[in-house]
Amino acid sequence: MHIWPLQIRAWSSGRSPISTTINTIHDVEFGAELPTFEPDTSLAQTSAFARAVGWGGGRGGRFEDHDRAREEGLPGALVPGIMGMGFLTTTIHQWSPHAVVEVIDTVFRAPMLADEPCIIGAVVTDIDEAEGLVELDMTLKNSADETRVFGTARVRLPK
Amino acid sequence: MVDIEDLKSKFLNQDFDAKEFVLDAEKIVTVAKASGETRAEFTDPEHPDFHAPPAFLCSLASGRHLPIDFPSLGGIPMDGGKAITIHAPVRAGQKLVGRTHLHDIYDKKGRSGRMILIVARMELYDENDAHLATADSRMVIREKSD
Repeated sequence: MHIWPLQIRAWSSGRSPISTTINTIHDVEFGAELPTFEPDTSLAQTSAFARAVGWGGGRGGRFEDHDRAREEGLPGALVPGIMGMGFLTTTIHQWSPHAVVEVIDTVFRAPMLADEPCIIGAVVTDIDEAEGLVELDMTLKNSADETRVFGTARVRLPK
Repeated sequence: MVDIEDLKSKFLNQDFDAKEFVLDAEKIVTVAKASGETRAEFTDPEHPDFHAPPAFLCSLASGRHLPIDFPSLGGIPMDGGKAITIHAPVRAGQKLVGRTHLHDIYDKKGRSGRMILIVARMELYDENDAHLATADSRMVIREKSD
């Protein structure tokens, strides 16, 4: 478990993240915060991800090796941008075991470094109970409380 | 200064790339687990609803993002983000084709100059031409000053 600055622990509004399991659309509250997720950003994971999506080897040095990444002028090995999308999706799936992510849109604001902790938070911004749809705003921050990735998701839940 | 409307009229909504894919179950599991995923639909190939997570589908759209005759805008394209809309589960072993076109071109002005954003859209179909997913890749290019 990483030690997070107080402002990140409190996330945004200071409201406690919900901890009950979300089974249906009727369990969701507008404005509720999802439980935060601290993913494993180790080189082992970034390397495995990069190789699986075909970015290993030569180009993948930037995801697999800090020294090689620095030789390219980067501050260190990076977390692949779409791995950030993977982290956001996992946050949703941990929140609700029945959630189906229909749309997820991520903006890569700044690089994430491998081996540096990050934390994902999300908040419910809209609920359509008739359709069983929830809209989320999501943010991935590093331990300096800097936003690296942000985005939105549309999630379907059982009615 | 690049004429955005001219670029749009010449390049939007014309397929410029098509690729075939067959998703590998082991790679889907690796991507899911590296992302922290624990749900069996994404981590257990024996699960009856095993399918690819959104990030894996987005990775399919990482190839050529610009038509071959698209003009150079001066700066190096940066990855500005990705989005995916999933219409149906995409499963391992399924034969797929991804067709790519430019969906949008627009600009944003900031203190450091103009940035041009280009959205390349890959539409993923199965062998019966059913539309399974749409992946958008946003490229950001800092316009070179004249």
